[in-house]
Amino acid sequence: METKTGFWKPVAMGILFLFALAIPLLTKNEYYLHTLIVGGIYILLVLGLNLILGYTGLLSLGHAAFYGIGAYTSALLVMVLHVPFWIALPVAGLVAGTAGLLLGFPALRLKGAYLVICTLAFVEIVHQVMMNWESLTRGPMGIPGVPSPVGFSFGSLVVDFSQKHTYYYLVLLIVSVVILLNYFLVRSRTGRALIAIREDQIAANMIGINLTFYKLLSFYCACFLAGIAGSLYVHYIGYVSPESFTLGESVNIVVMTILGGMGTIIGPILGALGLTFLLEFMRDLADYRLVLYGAILMIIIVVFPEGAVGLIRYLREGMKNRQAT
Amino acid sequence: MMLISQLINGMVLGSVYALLSLGLTMIFGILGIVNFAQGELYMLGAYVGYFLIVVQKVPFLLALLISMLVMGVFGLLIERFPFRPIQGKADESMILATVGLSVFLMNGAILLFGADPRRVETPFSDVFVHLGTFSISMQRILVFTVTVVLIILLTFFIRKTRMGKAMRACQQDLNAARIVGIDTKRVSMVTCFIGSALAAAAGVLIAPLFLVTPVMGLKVIAKAFVIVILGGLGNVAGAIMGGFIIGIAENLTAGFISSDLKDIIPFTILILILLLRPEGIFGKQIPEKV
Repeated sequence: METKTGFWKPVAMGILFLFALAIPLLTKNEYYLHTLIVGGIYILLVLGLNLILGYTGLLSLGHAAFYGIGAYTSALLVMVLHVPFWIALPVAGLVAGTAGLLLGFPALRLKGAYLVICTLAFVEIVHQVMMNWESLTRGPMGIPGVPSPVGFSFGSLVVDFSQKHTYYYLVLLIVSVVILLNYFLVRSRTGRALIAIREDQIAANMIGINLTFYKLLSFYCACFLAGIAGSLYVHYIGYVSPESFTLGESVNIVVMTILGGMGTIIGPILGALGLTFLLEFMRDLADYRLVLYGAILMIIIVVFPEGAVGLIRYLREGMKNRQAT
Repeated sequence: MMLISQLINGMVLGSVYALLSLGLTMIFGILGIVNFAQGELYMLGAYVGYFLIVVQKVPFLLALLISMLVMGVFGLLIERFPFRPIQGKADESMILATVGLSVFLMNGAILLFGADPRRVETPFSDVFVHLGTFSISMQRILVFTVTVVLIILLTFFIRKTRMGKAMRACQQDLNAARIVGIDTKRVSMVTCFIGSALAAAAGVLIAPLFLVTPVMGLKVIAKAFVIVILGGLGNVAGAIMGGFIIGIAENLTAGFISSDLKDIIPFTILILILLLRPEGIFGKQIPEKV
């Protein structure tokens, strides 16, 4: 059984990757590509949050703040200081990661409801700063005209990032690297330390795991990813305003992580893509969309608290039991 | 002079915060649920008040009572779903379920009532009481008075009645309360009734001062959380004090520093409190259970 899954998982991932590579060749529909790009950016956000929530067991509603910090950092670096995108991208990650440590120090001593409310307050503070620091952020008007990354050319091959399919490949590349790194991280000594903290904080401490260090590490990685996602978002959409980084956005990211099935890698990816597509398709429902979203969320949480991965596991075990009898 | 009028405005705003936070802290204390939909209960309460006062021409205080009753019954409904099935589940499940409820109710309100703000006029809005050189509208005095009366009634209920005693027992230890024969389901229902009636009272009281909109709950819920933490989660007296502290702090900031900073102050206070005294200003030190 073990060897079987060990063999099939990389193969399945490989096939999925090839499929993802081929999508721009299969469809010329810009709208699908757009949704996939946005979905890819959400995958980065959700994989980050998954490190905090799924592996370390801490619920943060602060993710939109770091996403926003990354977006603003990148936009301002490129537009005000004329830094190239390729430098602004990692710097946005570093700045968001550092901000994560800033919140992490006070917040990570808290648990449960206290931690949730503290991170919620952080989102509000960051949102208010974006709204009111008008000399830097232009306040509620936002910053329009954020340029696409500068392209390059190899002879006849021109790479132009204002094209949707080129941007799609950029996002796909970054998402794939992050998924791989994530895979290795959670199977490493560090990953096991995080899971130990999730399962039993006090026992983890007793066997010599430095709680503060590992919690901050998971926070830093998660916020770094959120910063990268913010940078990718702002140079794709070309506009940034405080309205994109509210508590509601944080909630969306948490919902994606949980509905997919946290504490796994495939779960949050499914959650991010699933919810992005669901919300896009529900656009036709106009005013009913969010009413339905709220109702569905409530019902799913009550019925399937472990998300899609939990549901699949449940079905699989059900089938096994039937075969046994 | 400015100081006194800002203090009075702070007390008025604080009254509304206190009522809203009371429900939040009671529901947390007894059901263990952080209710993100508390702001929507306040919003719906305000809409019920609007229809009674503006459309049906019901007198203000009677409208306040009816709205509290209606929303109290609504509280019983949400106690059945989604509160009861998620009680005792993981933190994130409880939070997401109430977030779902909040999204559902807020967008339902947009659908039913439209996004346009509604104005509520009462006979008290135009009556001013003059005290020395400044004047204050009757409506503001009314907000404060009603809040004080409600708080006294609630305190009496919790301290003196059998149900109040049962509620305190449930807050200390739900299982032990069950063992000594307290009907914990009934206690949960009463808590949700009171919690949502208080939120409705806050909504009706504030309606004549500000506008009634479907997103009014979203705007205050984060502050209500700050207040609840400030007072200590589950601490009734703390929530009342916290409400007034935040209301006054906000108005003093707007009056003396900058109105841009007004909305940031409560959250900054929160982060400081969590750093220095995570159990809240009025909370007792809670030993961590192993």
